[in-house]
Amino acid sequence: MSKAIAYTIVITGAPWASQAPQTALMFAREALLAGHRIDRVFLYGDGVHLASALSTPPSDETHWPRAWSEFLEQQNIPAAACIASALRRGVIDETEQARYELAASNLRAPFEIAGLGEWVEGNLKSDRTLYFHGSH
Amino acid sequence: MNTLIVVDQPPYGSWAGREALDMVFSLAAFDQPSALLFVGPGVNWLRSNQAPSGINQKSVEKNLSAAPMFGVEAILADRSACERFGLTEATLVAGVTLTDSVPDTLDGYRHVAFAG
Amino acid sequence: MTEITASSDTLHIVNKAPDHPRFGTFLRALSDTDSVVLIEDAVLACTDPSLRLPKSCVALTADIDARGLQDLQPAPHMISYGDLVRLTEQHEQIISW
Repeated sequence: MSKAIAYTIVITGAPWASQAPQTALMFAREALLAGHRIDRVFLYGDGVHLASALSTPPSDETHWPRAWSEFLEQQNIPAAACIASALRRGVIDETEQARYELAASNLRAPFEIAGLGEWVEGNLKSDRTLYFHGSH
Repeated sequence: MNTLIVVDQPPYGSWAGREALDMVFSLAAFDQPSALLFVGPGVNWLRSNQAPSGINQKSVEKNLSAAPMFGVEAILADRSACERFGLTEATLVAGVTLTDSVPDTLDGYRHVAFAG
Repeated sequence: MTEITASSDTLHIVNKAPDHPRFGTFLRALSDTDSVVLIEDAVLACTDPSLRLPKSCVALTADIDARGLQDLQPAPHMISYGDLVRLTEQHEQIISW
């Protein structure tokens, strides 16, 4: 058996604008099957759209935010959307809704809002940090 | 764990470069050795005399000038890209180190990442 | 299974179409001994022999199949998502373009 490896996965491509969330999910599933660990998933830039609870694709299309949520919950993997990227793009949790007195919040569980420090920590803790970018 | 953040998109037309800068500032804030590399159209970040008030954006030149103060170890740029976009010693912002070999520069860092 | 020894060479994971400027930057950054995986739109590079990708270059089967490139001649070396995981085990330095 080869040595188990710990990954931090960073997704910067948005669902429906890129394949990034899909490729990252396929990779993550295979990594766990191979006996590896995923320390955390970090959404950055346009990738934060994956954490929107309001995405509503047609019912015959894969629902990437839901597929990712289910995977993260089943595997108990922590996941965060970068706070600066998320606030700019209207992905908001209840704390930020209250802070900025906004009309609604829309962060999909189990995603959390966190600073880039989470990403820095992932770089330090994990054996590999892997990026899944958009196509533009 | 030294990290190189690469910027290959020009300023103002997209937010990718600003988000790359946020990454490198975060690394520096956590005392992680880090540097920026500008390649392709990304070198246009390094032109002096940027005056973006007419497009209601903040100057990335001003943002970038804070990098050494934050602890970012180097601002690197691909020499051939600078030449392609007409950037000379006279028009480049201060503190930029030109590289003749992008592959050699990449080899010097454990982590190499784009913001998007 | 054999013990995995980490390679000192870089693994390049490319997802941009061959016409994307970053694809050109990737080509210029490539060293002879590096490994390359084409994923997503980058698998379209397999249709263009003039790109001179390294012989060791591989492409993700699912992305090749999705784009109807199964029968390309010469056939690209194709890998699964599981193979991609194995390549990331073997390389400490990985660049996603």
